[in-house]
Amino acid sequence: MIVVFAGLLLRAVVVLTGAALATFALLWHAPGDPALAIAEARYGQNVSKEVLDFIRVEAGFEDGFWTAFWAWLAPLMQGDFGQSSVNGRDVWPDLVTAMSYTFPLALVSLALGLAVSLPLALIATRRPGSWLDRGAVALASIGVAIPAFWLGLLLILLFAVQLGWLPAMGAETTTHSILPAMTLGFGVAASLTRIIRSGILEARGQPFLPAFTRRGVARRDIARDHVAPHAAVPVVTVLGLELAFLLEGLVVVEVIFARPGLGSFLVNAIFARDFPRVQAVVLLAAVIFVVVNLAIDLIYRSLDPRVSGRDA
Amino acid sequence: MTLHVRGLSAERSGQIILHPTNVDFKPGERVGLVGASGSGKSTLGHELVDALRTQGASVAHVPQSPDEALDPLRSMAFHWREAEKALGLALDNERREMLFNALRIEKGDLRKRPWGWSRGMQQRFVTAMALIGVPDLLVMDEPTSALDPVVAAGTMDLLEDYLKDRQTALLLITHDLGLAARRVSRLMVMEAGRIVEDAPTQQFLASPKTRAAKALCAHRNWLELPC
Amino acid sequence: MLTVDNISVRRGVSTTLQEVSFSLDPGRTLAVVGESGAGKSTLINAILGLVQCSVGSVSWNGAPVSQCRPALVMQEPRAAFNPRLSLRRSVMEPVVAQNLAVGSDRLATLCRALEVQPDLLDRRPDQVSIGQAQRMGILRALIAAPPLVLFDEPLSALDAVTQKHTARLIADMQEQEGFAALIVTHDLGYAAAFADEIAVLRAGRIEEIATAQSFVEAPQTEYGRMLRDAAFALGALERVA
Repeated sequence: MIVVFAGLLLRAVVVLTGAALATFALLWHAPGDPALAIAEARYGQNVSKEVLDFIRVEAGFEDGFWTAFWAWLAPLMQGDFGQSSVNGRDVWPDLVTAMSYTFPLALVSLALGLAVSLPLALIATRRPGSWLDRGAVALASIGVAIPAFWLGLLLILLFAVQLGWLPAMGAETTTHSILPAMTLGFGVAASLTRIIRSGILEARGQPFLPAFTRRGVARRDIARDHVAPHAAVPVVTVLGLELAFLLEGLVVVEVIFARPGLGSFLVNAIFARDFPRVQAVVLLAAVIFVVVNLAIDLIYRSLDPRVSGRDA
Repeated sequence: MTLHVRGLSAERSGQIILHPTNVDFKPGERVGLVGASGSGKSTLGHELVDALRTQGASVAHVPQSPDEALDPLRSMAFHWREAEKALGLALDNERREMLFNALRIEKGDLRKRPWGWSRGMQQRFVTAMALIGVPDLLVMDEPTSALDPVVAAGTMDLLEDYLKDRQTALLLITHDLGLAARRVSRLMVMEAGRIVEDAPTQQFLASPKTRAAKALCAHRNWLELPC
Repeated sequence: MLTVDNISVRRGVSTTLQEVSFSLDPGRTLAVVGESGAGKSTLINAILGLVQCSVGSVSWNGAPVSQCRPALVMQEPRAAFNPRLSLRRSVMEPVVAQNLAVGSDRLATLCRALEVQPDLLDRRPDQVSIGQAQRMGILRALIAAPPLVLFDEPLSALDAVTQKHTARLIADMQEQEGFAALIVTHDLGYAAAFADEIAVLRAGRIEEIATAQSFVEAPQTEYGRMLRDAAFALGALERVA
């Protein structure tokens, strides 16, 4: 067990280092002059060559790729996320503020998606192949294909502009989160519905189920004790991937609904070539990924111990 | 109390797998149901158990392989408790110990999931579960084909010992007449969804009447003996 | 002649086969019996060259056994065929793979001998009965006329009557073609009826090896006796007192 855990931990470290390195490299080689981008973000206007050279040295662009990378990585290993290249503020507090806007939205969207997909999948599987079932699958397939930005704009148009029921932009009140949560939740519901549905159908097809009926076990107990756990296994596995979809969607949704949060934090930092801020967000995302997948791995192994013991 | 079942039938995608059939079992009777693959014997076993359950009779079914009887995600203890509950019985450790001893699985760790036990032990566990409620009829579907001969023979002997002085009737479904003939007092032969012959074992072996019965008889063991 | 000379197969820490030796002449049948996990499948894989022997060698007439291109008949006929290919293509595969010139009359002759209706060959494995599929498996094994044929539980997936029938066909083919046959089976009745010699495999070792008749009448080891008594209990062998 300890060996397994150590292996997973090692994998996590590799993933994080790789993500950090890859992002740093992409940003470093991105087109355009990074010093110019920083200058624009900082001063908002054209600056003299001396100022640009100063920025170049200050930000470490003169030092070469690996020196600059190490200059970022070394303090990080001691818990120091550095300062923004644009306004010199510490990265970590601003990151936490951004998180405080984004995490609640993510959780609400996930909950909304689950709240919709679970009953929908159960209804669909009541009679597989029926119109209800096929309709649900079609709806889910369309939902997966709809891009978040399109849906978001559509919802703004309908509920904010036409009907005036809900606010279009900003994050002042909880009401402001309704449309963004709906946008994201829709995508989550769409993909979860399909997974839960196929999980249930597959679980129902297991060869040993008739024996339990013949033994006199009640239908409800069979569903709860022998179908649901099996159906949960693929669903739990996919939830990890759902997180990817959610994080990506959050960036888009925050920009569209003009909400402060990790999305806008990241996007603005990229435009400004603000290396420390970009790296911080990417690292955070990577850590979230690794932790969630670790948790899912452990849950999966506890549900179905046949999986444990072989780590490849 | 004799068990009577009338009108067992089954069809799948428009094809009749089991023609309307009636069967009877006297208390403690040992009956064999033999036939080639595809003759419908497993189906008859399933329909029989379902029909008897609706009648309210106490009946149990042991499938061919433990994969068809046990949930790999649940412990053996869970399976046993669930079976007791399903029969409306209270948890009874003595009964469990007695059955486990009878089927030689007392060393099995109940906390394990099915795949933590050997296949032979899994099959005996399923058999023991079937005996919890002291059924009027125990239906065993191909009890030996998924097991090694040594394990299979052992299991059959243990079961026979257990049932010796009890009123539980046994229906042994198999494609192997040699297996059935040694352990049952009455033989039924199935062909194409119908019971075509039904006779006491000695009489059956001495003079099989139908074509299917004769074929089975002629091939009942490896060293060809006149039937 | 097949010579298995003191082979041992090790996988990691465990030894699946240990000091296994025997020989087999053309036209003769050796049955290898034993419980699951005894190493019967490993033995077949070692003879086929699919598994490396850490010690010892397997040879045919002095040369490495792979040179005689031994064929294999597997337990589950439907799992032994590519489900997407027609049976004809699968059956002819050994010929194609070995680049042999085999006339269509060979296929026709084998079909007749194995009671396979030629039009069934154009079907896919799931479209024929299990008995038919197994006979096609035998056909595929014999099409290139190998001198050695291995059988891994060839009858276990079949019902009692079909088993006897297929066993008879295998024996007839052996008489016609003259191949050496090594049959792995847990059915001692089958081994007793059709093998010249019986080898008992237990935990990777040959516990005893004897002619079929003498083994059934008087097994030399306690384990052998246990196997034989189980066969009686299951009705596979009939006591002729």
